[in-house]
Amino acid sequence: MLFTTDKQTQEDLNIFGKQGTDSILSLFNRTSTLNGARILEEMFNYPLSDMEAINKRSGAISYLKVVQAVFPFSSELFDRAEQYLANTDERSKLSAERPSLEKQLTSLVADDADYKQIVNGISALIEIVKVFDSLLKNNLLQAGSPFKNDAETISISTLLTAEPASLLLQEDSRGRLTREKLVTYDMLLRFRHRETIQRILRYIYQLDVYITVAKVATERNFIFPKALPKGEHVITIGGFYHPQLKHAVPNTLEVTPDNNVVFLTGANMAGKSTFMKSLGIAMYLAHMGFPVAAKKLEFSVLDGIYTTINLPDNLGIGASHFYAEVLRIKKMARELNTGKNILVIFDELFRGTNVKDAYEATIAITSAFAGKRDSVFVISTHIIEAGEILKERCANISFKYLPTRMKGTIPEYTYTLETGITDDRHGMIIINNEGILELLKKGKETVK
Amino acid sequence: MSFIADKQTLEDLNLLGKYKQYSIFSLFNKVNTAGGEKLLGEMFQTPLTDPGAINKRSAIFKYFQSKQLSFPFSNNEFGMVDNYLSGGSSSQYLTALLALARKKLMGTVLRGEEYKNIQNGLQQTIVLLNTCKTFISQFSNDKDQPFYDEVLVVKNILDDPKLEWLATEQANQLSLTKMARYDHLLRYKMEKALATVIKTFYQLDVYITVANLAHAKDFSYAKALPKEDNLFTATALSHPGIEKAVANPVSFHQNSNMIFLTGANMAGKSTFMKAFGINVYLAHMGFPVAAKEMEFSVKDGIYTSINVPDNLNMGYSHFYAEVLRVKNVAEQVSIGKSLVVIFDELFKGTNVKDAYDATLAVTAAFSEYDNCLFIISTHIIEAGEVLKQQSNIQMLYLPTIMNGNIPTYPYLLQAGISSDRHGMMIIENEGIVELLESN
Repeated sequence: MLFTTDKQTQEDLNIFGKQGTDSILSLFNRTSTLNGARILEEMFNYPLSDMEAINKRSGAISYLKVVQAVFPFSSELFDRAEQYLANTDERSKLSAERPSLEKQLTSLVADDADYKQIVNGISALIEIVKVFDSLLKNNLLQAGSPFKNDAETISISTLLTAEPASLLLQEDSRGRLTREKLVTYDMLLRFRHRETIQRILRYIYQLDVYITVAKVATERNFIFPKALPKGEHVITIGGFYHPQLKHAVPNTLEVTPDNNVVFLTGANMAGKSTFMKSLGIAMYLAHMGFPVAAKKLEFSVLDGIYTTINLPDNLGIGASHFYAEVLRIKKMARELNTGKNILVIFDELFRGTNVKDAYEATIAITSAFAGKRDSVFVISTHIIEAGEILKERCANISFKYLPTRMKGTIPEYTYTLETGITDDRHGMIIINNEGILELLKKGKETVK
Repeated sequence: MSFIADKQTLEDLNLLGKYKQYSIFSLFNKVNTAGGEKLLGEMFQTPLTDPGAINKRSAIFKYFQSKQLSFPFSNNEFGMVDNYLSGGSSSQYLTALLALARKKLMGTVLRGEEYKNIQNGLQQTIVLLNTCKTFISQFSNDKDQPFYDEVLVVKNILDDPKLEWLATEQANQLSLTKMARYDHLLRYKMEKALATVIKTFYQLDVYITVANLAHAKDFSYAKALPKEDNLFTATALSHPGIEKAVANPVSFHQNSNMIFLTGANMAGKSTFMKAFGINVYLAHMGFPVAAKEMEFSVKDGIYTSINVPDNLNMGYSHFYAEVLRVKNVAEQVSIGKSLVVIFDELFKGTNVKDAYDATLAVTAAFSEYDNCLFIISTHIIEAGEVLKQQSNIQMLYLPTIMNGNIPTYPYLLQAGISSDRHGMMIIENEGIVELLESN
């Protein structure tokens, strides 16, 4: 089953970002090859929802991080090889006949571009196969490597022992190829075994992604999450933070089936949105088998993530913010109804309506969500009164808040999660500190 | 003392800014001359606080609206003449003549441009002054009109016998001595007088353009009353920048100096508040307003808090920014200024309890100042139940009408506190809770 998410979620978490801005993808988007970047983007578009696939990928990347693997190819080789392979026109095939005198004379005067491309492509492929072979032997297939048991790696390495790769391996990469050899290789590489060659290249591109991601994990001190079976419904995440923030404050969260709804409160600037985004990003990357900005992450595999953090008003069609929120919840409710286990993140639920409605709606929706024990919900709100009712009604809600500390009249934020419902009543304190009411009262007396 | 409107207010109401889309200034900025635009800008920068001055200016607009004139010049013509006249000439006729002779010689021998330029400038000025004379003759005899004094000054200048030749002469047919004489006359002897003419025409540009705009948009003129009355009435007030805006009646007086406004998010609270603020501002400029039968006591200034920006750099939250804004206004109010104060969605950036307490305390404290007018909007409708007890607070709301499950907004003010509880209705209509509980 596919991992489901949507555009709103990807925008909330800034997975792809806008062109030219920093995004989560751009943290990792440093592959050596162009096709590697394409595969990376594909991975971001399609996170996994299968425990084994996730653990296998994170195991592979984690191994490459430990051995500090570097991508041993020059990326220009792949440009040459791809350009060469892209030409599938039979008429361009090198012919075994000796070229006519006329042709030989022309090639003396001006380079034959097609011929040059063929020679370049073949020599690039020889180089690639040779470097790849030694990478496999000296690194990936060494004892202790997870690649040793990987079916794809094993079948790729057997491909290297058969034609045409085995022939290329015997060539001296620096020597000039005779015309006879060029003709044979051109026929084999570009036409007869074309798909084999492309499969090997694709494997190398994927390796490029893995090595790049491993490097990012080393540089940024990311850790590799461990995927657990779906049925357990747990998430244990320690020391997680927002990977795009400097000096981000880490937090810890534990989710179990008896504790699968997080009711988050706190002042506006206390960091609720950042907390929710950090969690969403970590879970998103974890389902790709990628390293995450945390100290520890173990999670039961989910079927999808839906966030609602910056929901745009759709003023054009006359729908209010409130109505947009309702429609979004309905969409999630439909997904939940199909029996999927999903992570739902909702920031400032029902902020676009009057207090009474928001209060009732928050209670109704949160307690209905709480009935879905297989999924995980993180809901933030200003309506702290709703928390008191929910506390009585549902046993499986965990109440968390981000505190505000008053330092004189200036509010300070710890950004560290605490248990309970916020009782920050700094609003009136701030107003009193500023002396607004006295000011008005005194002014009234003097004016009269 | 000038009318107070700080930066935040000007931005909330989108009043100024030539290049800002939909600013109120650009709505009115259809003037023909650069001088007129400058004058219009000055009027926007400095609204008036004297009822007499306001009523005089609006009477002028009203007069020109009734005349339906069109300004007879383009910016180009005026620019050239202004340029020529401000060039200045020598104080002595003789030296001026010699200088002109030299320029003419240079023109024939060395193809110098200066003589030609003077000849052109003179010709343009002759044409312009003649047009001016014909133009003001349309209303210079009307002694009852409010702009009569200014027009009379211009008329007397143009009727000066020294300028009689204007009717007959052409600059390119003048002898050197005649040209030197006229040039000296216009640019030295009558320099000040002609500057007055030009300046009056810049004023006319503004008056005529704005009056015609008022006619096209069906704006009216507000009547300024003395400060002490603390009155405000208008039968149909709307946002001047919105086509086909819905109009609402508004009325304040000494014993009813506050509106407590509720309604759903999209119901039009902000638009109503902006419309009120903009019309108050325009009325203090003596400008036409998007309201009918508007009468107002002049105020010392206006403060709004409609889009208070977070100041994240200084570590202020939205709430704190709002508190500082409220404090700023409280300071002004408490020293006895009579102000118009508009607070939109007061204290939305905090938890409900705080917002409730704060709204209640602050609103009640402000409402004591019966020399000021307040409009305060909020989502905390519970606060309204308590404030209802105070007789000087008008409870108004903008309703939401459910059309099936699609909310529609009539934008018409109603008395009372919003009781729109469509939130739960929408959720029930969508059947979300049932959906979640179904398996």
